[in-house]
Amino acid sequence: MILAAWLDGLGRVRRAPTLAAGVFVLTLAAALPLAIVMRGTLAAHLGNSLAANTAADAVNYDWWQEFASQASGLGTTFTPAIIGFAATLDSVSGVFDARGPIAPIAAAIASYLLVWVFLSGGILDRYARQRRTYAHGFFAACGVFFWRFLRLGLIAGAVYWMLFAYVHRWLLDDAYERLIVDVSEERVALLWRFGLYAVFGTSLMLVNIAIDYAKVRLVVEDRRSAIGALSAALGFLGRHPGRAFGLYALNGLAFLVVVAVWSLVAPGAGDAGLSMWAGLAVTQLYLLARLVLKLQFIASQTALFQRSLAHAGYTAAPLPLWPDSPAAETIVGGV
Amino acid sequence: MRPACAVSVLVLLCLLDGEAREPVQTFDQPEAGALSPRNANYFIDVRLDHAARTLTGRETIRWRNISANPATELQFHLYWNGWRDLESTFMRERRLAAGFTVPREDAWGSVEVKKITIGPADLTTQQRFLAPDDGNTADRTVMAVPLPAPVGPNETIEVNVEWTAKLPRPFARTGYVGDYYFIAQWFPKLGVLENTGWNTHQFHASTEFYSDYGMYDVRMTVPAGFVVGASGREMERTANRDGTETYRYVGEDIHDFAWTASPDYIASERMFEHPTLPPVRMRLLLLREHAGQESRHFDATAAALRYYGEWYGPYPYNHITIVDPAFQSRADGMEYPTFFTARTRWLAPGRVAEPERVTIHEAGHQWWYGVVGSNEFEHAWLDEGLNTYSEARTMEAAAVSNDLGLRFFGGAVPWVIDDIQMVRATDLNRLTGYRENAETDIQSTPTYRYWPSTATFITYNKTALWLHTLERRFGWPLFQKVMSTYFERWRFRHPQPDDFFAVVNEVTGQDMTWFFDEVYRGSNVFDYGVQEFTSRLKPAPTNSPAPTNAAAPTKDQYQTVVVVRRFGEALFPVNVVTTFRNGEQVIELWDGRDRRAVYSYDRPSQAVSVEIDPGRLLLLDVNYTNNSATLDSRAGDASLKWSLKWLTWLQDVMLTCAFFV
Repeated sequence: MILAAWLDGLGRVRRAPTLAAGVFVLTLAAALPLAIVMRGTLAAHLGNSLAANTAADAVNYDWWQEFASQASGLGTTFTPAIIGFAATLDSVSGVFDARGPIAPIAAAIASYLLVWVFLSGGILDRYARQRRTYAHGFFAACGVFFWRFLRLGLIAGAVYWMLFAYVHRWLLDDAYERLIVDVSEERVALLWRFGLYAVFGTSLMLVNIAIDYAKVRLVVEDRRSAIGALSAALGFLGRHPGRAFGLYALNGLAFLVVVAVWSLVAPGAGDAGLSMWAGLAVTQLYLLARLVLKLQFIASQTALFQRSLAHAGYTAAPLPLWPDSPAAETIVGGV
Repeated sequence: MRPACAVSVLVLLCLLDGEAREPVQTFDQPEAGALSPRNANYFIDVRLDHAARTLTGRETIRWRNISANPATELQFHLYWNGWRDLESTFMRERRLAAGFTVPREDAWGSVEVKKITIGPADLTTQQRFLAPDDGNTADRTVMAVPLPAPVGPNETIEVNVEWTAKLPRPFARTGYVGDYYFIAQWFPKLGVLENTGWNTHQFHASTEFYSDYGMYDVRMTVPAGFVVGASGREMERTANRDGTETYRYVGEDIHDFAWTASPDYIASERMFEHPTLPPVRMRLLLLREHAGQESRHFDATAAALRYYGEWYGPYPYNHITIVDPAFQSRADGMEYPTFFTARTRWLAPGRVAEPERVTIHEAGHQWWYGVVGSNEFEHAWLDEGLNTYSEARTMEAAAVSNDLGLRFFGGAVPWVIDDIQMVRATDLNRLTGYRENAETDIQSTPTYRYWPSTATFITYNKTALWLHTLERRFGWPLFQKVMSTYFERWRFRHPQPDDFFAVVNEVTGQDMTWFFDEVYRGSNVFDYGVQEFTSRLKPAPTNSPAPTNAAAPTKDQYQTVVVVRRFGEALFPVNVVTTFRNGEQVIELWDGRDRRAVYSYDRPSQAVSVEIDPGRLLLLDVNYTNNSATLDSRAGDASLKWSLKWLTWLQDVMLTCAFFV
């Protein structure tokens, strides 16, 4: 069942390439404005100096540190962690270490997540129906489910906030400090730390999987109540823990495989010529792969839920239809 | 040496060196058959109570007054009282730092002198605490007792002291964690009696130590099964009936004694051998979790022994102990005579110079602090700064792999950025830290008065940068002679800043006072920059046709204007180099005193770039990017490349956050 749902999900993602392309463009578009600002900041600091030559051809770390020492706002995020696989380590460890982003980036992320909330209804609807819904059907579903997802998102946000603001501090600060107070070996301390990361990660995963299935149930069963959907999702997880968590683990494993491959092929600094564009292309491919994986999470969980029902492919809501324009109605009506 | 002889030597030195100053102690020449004056000799017997976390000790101090004046009292450092409570000067200063947290209840440490006698005279009840630096009556880190009779110049007395000490959880390289102990600044220790009186500073959060040379004969009793390492050499080991072992270590011509004990050490040894330097037995106490990093520690220590030995003078002892301190012991990166602590991690990528950099630095302190015994309370830069400069030089000479290493997941996961290699001039001399804190303190301020959280940037970074600037100005052969002369002249003595400056002036034959005024007696920043750079076709004279063939320009067709500016307050002469498209270069020597200088050139070729100080003699320039300008700027290319890198980082961050929706 787990593998079947996973493969089914993969098929659903594969048959809807526009969705992957769409969220890829969304991710790029969400980051681009700030990147343009960053480019202006970097160009202004480099001015017409010769330091730009080295910075263009390789890494001018001397200039970089000078820039960093004078940077404020967005500029403070321009660190060597942006190079290659360090960027992925930085973002993932940022979650596990509960490092909050600076205000402009937080705002961009919030906007990006809001758009994801909007699109999630359409994406889930598309994967649940397993047939083309076209743009009008897709966006109609987005609109139909947006407020429900937003309500669910507020619940999820509150729970995540609790986890990051309190549970994380309790685990990785207070408990960790207490556990290692007499530890004189770093590897023992690291074991404790990763153990606590695992506890924190598991709590994030539990919330995440519950919210995922709540979204699935909101769409597939056309539920109105976010709380009801969440309750139903918990019920589903309670009845099918092996399948649900097994599938989640399989998707998680796929993520680890993608990240492991990326760690081997991630391009370094490069120069400002062809290698820059080649590096950008490779990096965008990696990001696309991660986006496809995210869609795969959604699609496979939808498939699992539907396969666990009496008849797979069931969706309660009728296919949203784009209403004809008044002019068309007039023509059809022959008036 | 008899007083008359010592005075004669001093007079001779003064004749040889017109700028030589009066030393801080009159009788500071080596004793016959010794390397140092050996005027503060300690015979200590100490027992570590593992269960109670206490030390119980007794010591006999044989002290000779090498100052010019009689002593009427003795002053002792009781460093561990810096961790007695929140009101000590150490803790008051520590509390100024951001993120300070109150130590746990069981973290505090202290030391108490139970008995102090000189001959028949019991001085125990006459102890009083002094606070010469800040008048803090709650501070108990300096203790004085009156002498029963004045001790005249070059006279010797014996003092007997008994004390107990409570071991702290680690503070400032001292304390315990689990069954690991690192024990430093642990015994009642005399200050330094100079010609001007006792130099016994309180324990401060950002300063280190100062003491006289002597012989240390120390017996340490610890639980059986513990591996012990200490300053000096192990002379004997005795198993006791009570399940303890007593180790006896002896160190000669050293001015401090630290030790460590842990059952987790793996001890190993390797010989340092060199065609022209004396052999040294290197002993490494490595933690089990770092097994496999032996060679990295030995090689780095050997690099320091080799290069410092070749450049400055041979290491004067035949033994050195490297300690790999335990996690959370806070004992990493610290120097003691013939004994030092390194720093490494469980996961330590080979291309990142950890543990090499710290190992070289602390081994190098054997020269700057160990042999040349400067006063770290007042002039920490004389050892830390000289040593940071020397460490950077050694890292370069030994070609230590030094890629940038980043750490993630709370420091647990290392990642190497192999696009970025640390370079000596800027990274290893630590320009970044200085750049951000250049004006925090005037370097000539006594170190213990520096702002605690930024003291290191002036002491280490600024000094290394200006020493390297001097090296670039004079060239290494001459500057090496400066350093080796200073080392030779002040080995086993206590130099002052002016003694170093005098050696620079003497050996280079130049009066560099103006430079030391800028870098040492001031806190102004250096910042030279290009304000304007144009190179255009000259306007055609009235009624004459404009040149039509760009490939064959007429003579002096282009007018180039360069405006350079001194943005900072500090002064340094710099070259201004203008390069033309035909390869011609014009070099102007600007004294850098005015706020700006204007250079104008009429040339057949267009200028392509201008650079101020292109050889980067002045490593203290805090904004080097503005030192150049070009007409063929590639800022567009560079900013595009790096903003695309940043773009993908931001996409990655966003995508990671998308996990939550």
